[in-house]
Amino acid sequence: MVVFALFIISKSGGLIYNREFHAGLQKLNSNDLLMLAGSFHGMHAITKSLCPNPPVPPPPSSTNAASLAPSPFTHRATGLEVLETSQFRMQCFQTLTGIKFLLFTEPQQPNIDTMMKKIYELYADFVMKNPFYTVEMPIRCEKFDRGLDGFVKLRG
Amino acid sequence: MVLYSFYIFDRHTECIYSRRWTPMRPASSSSKTPRPTSGSSITSNGGVTAAQRSKHADDEKLIFGLVFSLRNMVQKLGGQDDTFLSYRTGEYKLHYYETATRMKFVMLTDTKLNNLRPYLHQIWANLYVEYVVKNPLAPVEHPGGIGVANELFERALELFVTTVLPS
Repeated sequence: MVVFALFIISKSGGLIYNREFHAGLQKLNSNDLLMLAGSFHGMHAITKSLCPNPPVPPPPSSTNAASLAPSPFTHRATGLEVLETSQFRMQCFQTLTGIKFLLFTEPQQPNIDTMMKKIYELYADFVMKNPFYTVEMPIRCEKFDRGLDGFVKLRG
Repeated sequence: MVLYSFYIFDRHTECIYSRRWTPMRPASSSSKTPRPTSGSSITSNGGVTAAQRSKHADDEKLIFGLVFSLRNMVQKLGGQDDTFLSYRTGEYKLHYYETATRMKFVMLTDTKLNNLRPYLHQIWANLYVEYVVKNPLAPVEHPGGIGVANELFERALELFVTTVLPS
């Protein structure tokens, strides 16, 4: 199994983290990567608005406790989740706060969802809990890097 | 299998054919307006209003722009010989096929289907070439979709989606 790269795009469309694990994708300079992240941010929004069957919110008549605090997130179209091409497969995971994790793998890669979950966990542990990290800024956390490395090597 | 829509774009970025199988979604991304119930959408389905038509045209442009930029992004990342095949969201899946003449075939379906690229290729080879390109009365280019939506093509496409496509 091969994981090519991981990108993290902030909620305003800036590339805040990019990491290549395996060669396979084209080498791009940081300017191109930033442009790519920005345009993907826009494309993601368009895929959301193109949805031919918008998810219908459940009737508000249900009386359980959960309906007292309606979440604005659950009935929204999700936007692009998996992109398939002849040479790679890109999984996009958007958190509730709008941060997007893009994971580039081989086309026939199983269990991307669990990997994504694990990466999100690493992000929560080593980036969000890092007192020196400011949100929306590029991620420079050694522990996060090391955690990713260990995780990807362990699975590889 | 649920089929939502099908589009053909020519090399001049124009949508020369579009076909929808479901009533259009009521309001676009702006979820401010309350969504009509299923009953009202059936009644409004009878006549295509001008607003709906412009909505369709907007969708065509959006889809073209989207697949165009996705294709460019894929080529930038994966190299010149990489091709964009499809993408999936939580609600629908978009399948893409591009011919050597840069015509683009796009189909929107539900998420359960595998890649439809071979079927889109068949639509091009067996239906489009057969009934549009080989039609002596059809122009070489199809500005505004002239000559594409002829009776034979429409009927063959209808037959194709009901019989050949995996259910």
